[in-house]
Amino acid sequence: MSMLDRKMLRDVLALRGQVLTIALLIGAGVAVLVMSVGTFLSLRGAQQTFYAQSHFAEVFAEVKRAPRTLLPQIAEIPGVAIVEGRVTGEARVDWPGAEVPVAGRIVSLPLAGGQPALNRLRLLVGRLPEPTRHEEAVIHAAFAEARRVRPGEEIAVILNGRRQSFRIVGIAHSPEFVFTSRPGSPLPDDRGYVLLFVNETAVARAFDMQGAFSELVLTLAPGASEPAVIAELDRLLQPWGGRGAHGRRDQPSHRFLEDELAEQRTLAVTVPLIFFGIAAFLLNVVLGRMVEAQREQVAALKALGYPSFPIAAHYAKFVAVVCGLGAALGVAAGAWMGEGMLGNYRPFFRFPEMPYLLPAWLPLLAAAASFAFALLGVLAALRRILRLPAAEGLRPPRPAALGAGALGSVGGRLSARAKIPLRGLLGRPIRTGLTMLGIALAVPMVVLGLFWWDALDSMVALQFDRIERGDAFVALTDPRPARAVREMARLPGVLAVEGQRIVPVRLRAAQRSHLLALSGLPEGATLRVPRDADLRPVQIPREGVALSRRLAERLGVREGDRVQVEVLEGARRSHDLPVVALVEDIIGLTALMEIGALNRLLREDDLISHVALRVDPLAAQALWQLLAERPRVAATSVKAVWLRVFDEVIARMVLTSAVILTGFGIIIAVGVVYNSARVALQERGWEMASLRVLGFTRQEVARLLLGELAVAVLIAVPLGLALAQGFVALILGARNNESFDIPATISPATFATAALVVLGAAAASAIVVRRRIDRLDLVAALKARE
Amino acid sequence: MDGAVPSAGDPPATGGAPPIFVARALCKSYGSGEAAVHALRDLDLDILQGEFVVLIGPSGSGKSTLLNILGGLDTPSSGRAAWRDHELAGADEAALTAYRREHVGFVFQSYNLIPSLTARENVELVAEIARDPMRAEEALALVGLSHRLGHFPGQLSGGEQQRVAVARAIVKRPDALLCDEPTGALDVETGKLVLSAISRANREVGATTVVITHNAAIAGMADRVLHMGGGRIVAIEANRRRLSPEELVW
Ligand SMILES: Nc1ncnc2c1ncn2[C@@H]1O[C@H](COP(=O)(O)OP(=O)(O)OP(=O)(O)O)[C@@H](O)[C@H]1O
Ligand SMILES: [Mg+2]
Repeated sequence: MSMLDRKMLRDVLALRGQVLTIALLIGAGVAVLVMSVGTFLSLRGAQQTFYAQSHFAEVFAEVKRAPRTLLPQIAEIPGVAIVEGRVTGEARVDWPGAEVPVAGRIVSLPLAGGQPALNRLRLLVGRLPEPTRHEEAVIHAAFAEARRVRPGEEIAVILNGRRQSFRIVGIAHSPEFVFTSRPGSPLPDDRGYVLLFVNETAVARAFDMQGAFSELVLTLAPGASEPAVIAELDRLLQPWGGRGAHGRRDQPSHRFLEDELAEQRTLAVTVPLIFFGIAAFLLNVVLGRMVEAQREQVAALKALGYPSFPIAAHYAKFVAVVCGLGAALGVAAGAWMGEGMLGNYRPFFRFPEMPYLLPAWLPLLAAAASFAFALLGVLAALRRILRLPAAEGLRPPRPAALGAGALGSVGGRLSARAKIPLRGLLGRPIRTGLTMLGIALAVPMVVLGLFWWDALDSMVALQFDRIERGDAFVALTDPRPARAVREMARLPGVLAVEGQRIVPVRLRAAQRSHLLALSGLPEGATLRVPRDADLRPVQIPREGVALSRRLAERLGVREGDRVQVEVLEGARRSHDLPVVALVEDIIGLTALMEIGALNRLLREDDLISHVALRVDPLAAQALWQLLAERPRVAATSVKAVWLRVFDEVIARMVLTSAVILTGFGIIIAVGVVYNSARVALQERGWEMASLRVLGFTRQEVARLLLGELAVAVLIAVPLGLALAQGFVALILGARNNESFDIPATISPATFATAALVVLGAAAASAIVVRRRIDRLDLVAALKARE
Repeated sequence: MDGAVPSAGDPPATGGAPPIFVARALCKSYGSGEAAVHALRDLDLDILQGEFVVLIGPSGSGKSTLLNILGGLDTPSSGRAAWRDHELAGADEAALTAYRREHVGFVFQSYNLIPSLTARENVELVAEIARDPMRAEEALALVGLSHRLGHFPGQLSGGEQQRVAVARAIVKRPDALLCDEPTGALDVETGKLVLSAISRANREVGATTVVITHNAAIAGMADRVLHMGGGRIVAIEANRRRLSPEELVW
């Protein structure tokens, strides 16, 4: 082993506190990268595998009722590969003991038995129904797991008003229900929503669909144009009550999954990059300072005639050891946390398998990048030293980077003791700035972990206290005259009711289009209150349509522009309407009209299709039951259930990332403060020792050294809070998710916590360094300078 | 120089002043067993109030070790060391700090000034924690540096820095001024300036002064010269007349 290698190993041991904190810093950066990118790739991988294996359809269409004889004609459309018609319908499920009525959807399996050609089921347990057994059903895994349903059990459903019982023969996953939720709800409610797959005969009979289909799925031939196929399909289905064909983009499960993947990709890129950038920057600063603290050693080696290259190689090895340690820690922690994050997605996304994928290039890339950043910092510091004439290097660094004149006036009439930390800070402004920035950057890490709670709170507050003010939302089986509202108002426990008319539409503006539900609200509605950006209630002018800000952005329109509204129901007419107002929404994308105006547009009477209710909490339970039994009620969604699911599912995800990022925030804070203090001690140990010799007490000396850091920390924390605000805005700006809009709200409590965490980490580091100051060997310190 | 080895109880050669530093059977060793290094072996010593003592001897003979113990920077392995009624041998860290703070002024070969403070501020730094200090300007005037008050150590020559260090050591009117090779890094002329500053401090502040040096010529300034060798005092020389630094022949 060469002498320098021996020195390197001794350095690693002697500086183990610093080596460890720096390795943790690298580890944290690598871990976030490995965790986020790994999670993203795993989700993407699971999706692709499942879609391919189960032949997930590419175009979807719903019709009121079309004859099966139409199918060959559709198969003839150029570009269509495989086409399959089926019957689906909404179902109410009679689940004894359910707090809130269970809803569901029933999907037909081919008449001839066996798997469908497209959207094949992936059986976890059991088998498909026998072609002749109309009472057999396969149940989707989400509900089966949530309610512990096993093959052999019976499930009673009300189809089209008729009660029917099915025996479960299998439990399965389906590519079109990777994400399942009640229609329109952005969160899964596994306990309240069931999917059943049964023989076509059974469904067809219930919905009077013999020889007909109500849904169409197809795949495209290679090179086919999706819009062309959709246009042709729409033309063929129009006479049969077609509701507008659409691609995967508008398929609910796929759309949500894509949104989440896009979100995950944003998080997998922005957060780790910010984090990694910070870690790399700190690595650069901390290692640079560490080398600078060894300037006399370096200068001495150089004076002894050592060429520069082996000296540089020596430090590169040191960096490699530290980075190797950090990267190993980071990969292990990142993979472990990635598995955990992926576990958080399991209740959201039902894939038959979702293995954690960690491609080998990822940790290698992360390690190489941290090594490069670290080396840059070290080499820059080294170059500064090696460029000095040997004699200069051997002398202690000149104190005044600021002109001596300027520095001399710093502190004015303050005591000499107070001037030392002050001038320590001002004498090397660049280094002081970097240290402060480093400490400041710890704050956003903690804030990034914690602010999600604030954001979710304000999301819920905005959506459910200000906009959706009802306790439940009832979907009717068909549009009904407005007086149906009055009937509902008479039900026991109902305090207030408001009818709404909701129709599926496709909005178009220039080249962009979006499929969604257009809601007609009564003037002065109190159970659903559209609000503008300042949260003031908005009256929707009758002559046009109101869009949510986010929808308008997607369509690229502004207030006053016109959009084409294609109604995907009834006569399927298109209208050209002005955008008369912009409103806020948080969950989903909103398009609104005044209900009368909407009905006139549809050329219909005063009709409603949905009812919002305010309910007496004491009577709620009974009311849900009552509603479930009413024949014209298709589904009831209950706000309380929604909120519970929101809490359970989202809160857990948020908690995981909060814990991880807060932990990293602490690592950063400790890494920077501890290393700054250690380097300061290393550089100024003799100064401190000579003050001790002059009779200064340990406490006085510690105050001089740590006072400087304390000032840096006190300035850095508010700076960090400002940075945090910026980072949060940056990350939220980078995401583009139509399911949720996350407001950039950070509560004072979050700011306070982040500040306290960083101050605490700084204090703990200071205590450790303080103990070193106490142990300063005066005689040795004096001797080392001789 | 070739006098007999003095015995422990030998009265000092000069005057009837009481001893201010007393060391008896002082031992300091590093390590243990075979590998142990004995820096001081059974050393006995008396230094009188106001005396100017020069410690001289080959490298490794224990001079710095002795001075550090007298200054409360280090503690002996065994034996007694006392300053007046302060027992230095068994004292704890806090007591030694207080002792250094109140009674001792140090000057080292390396000047150990605080680089971010000016000459005046370096001196004030110590004045701030002293009980009855002189003004910093006064201390700097004593070492002949009245004209460089506002300069940083980096702007001063080595000799000037060392004189600032002397001013810093005497500003608190110490009872003892301990200097470890104060001229080691300086040329003759500068060395003389520093030595005269030390000698003036000894006379005008009345500080009992111990100076370590390798330079036998400096011995002429002292009341007594203690020769060390192998961790002991091997000879004591008393000067009849103290030479002024200017008279020294280097
Ligand atoms: N920390 C230590 N560990 C081991 N041995 C030590 C230590 N400090 C001093 N010594 C040894 O004690 C002996 C006396 O050292 P001291 O520094 O007192 O010598 P000195 O007379 O001041 O020498 P110099 O004139 O070179 O400064 C030396 O042999 C030295 O090697
Ligand atoms: Mg010595």
